[in-house]
Amino acid sequence: MNAPRDEEAWIGRAKALLDDSADALDAATLSRLNRARHAALAQRRRMPRTWALGAGIAGLAAAVFGVAIGLHHGLNRDVPTRSVPLQAADIELLTGDDDALDLSENLDFYAWLERQPGDSNG
Amino acid sequence: MTACNVLMTAFEDEPATPAAGEASPALERFLDRVARRALRMAELATGHRDEALDLVQDAMFGFVRHYAGRPDAEWAPLFWRVLDSRLNDWHRRQHARGRWWVPRSAGDESDPADFVPDPHEPGPLARLAGDEAARALEAALRRLPHRQRQAFLLRLWQGLDVSDTAKAMRCSEGSVKTHLSRALASLRRGLEDPR
Repeated sequence: MNAPRDEEAWIGRAKALLDDSADALDAATLSRLNRARHAALAQRRRMPRTWALGAGIAGLAAAVFGVAIGLHHGLNRDVPTRSVPLQAADIELLTGDDDALDLSENLDFYAWLERQPGDSNG
Repeated sequence: MTACNVLMTAFEDEPATPAAGEASPALERFLDRVARRALRMAELATGHRDEALDLVQDAMFGFVRHYAGRPDAEWAPLFWRVLDSRLNDWHRRQHARGRWWVPRSAGDESDPADFVPDPHEPGPLARLAGDEAARALEAALRRLPHRQRQAFLLRLWQGLDVSDTAKAMRCSEGSVKTHLSRALASLRRGLEDPR
């Protein structure tokens, strides 16, 4: 059976025909292909400068951002900030616990009330 | 002088030296070697020389931009991958516009009987030996579905192995074998009966 050999033969012939068609391109087409190739390669020559320029601009932007942040912090530092320790009374005033104040101011009354015998309402 | 001016002056004064960005002679030779075949491949896919030239130029730009820094041994599958991507995009655009230049194939579905050669046919080799051989082959290739045609051209004409063909077509090696098998069957059928 020579089917594989036939297959190889016609595929080989097809490849040769495709090669011929690629080799037989006209001059105008070849010229355009050459220009396309040179343009693509020229782009590669320009790439490092473009990349470096982009990196430079990014670096400059980062520096400007850093300076802006620094200035912002510097301005904020001029505002006086004082630290005053809070007392227990201040906390009670802030929380508005009026009953606690009443209890501390009427200790004598509550002591007398404790001493009274036979409080029928208790 | 502002910092920006200093920066710009520094870059403007930079000479165009053949540093890292210089195109190597090897890269130039590679593009020269693949350009003609790339054009023929794009022409078979599009049916238009001008569009094919545009696609090949675009592929060269994309390849140089993204892959020129890779080792030489990787260039071939990567270049064909970029071109294949451009051809796929072209087909998608044509499909979206609803103006395929060639009647669409019924897809990759085929009758298993098509794979059995007819002993009475003169065979594809006879068809390719005549005066009209190149035209018959081109017509048969254009009738193939795009993926089958790419598998045939990349694997058998460009000589990529199955693995590199799969990379170029962004599919599995099994898919390459399937596309190629169907392409060969369709080409044989098309060359035996070029109606």
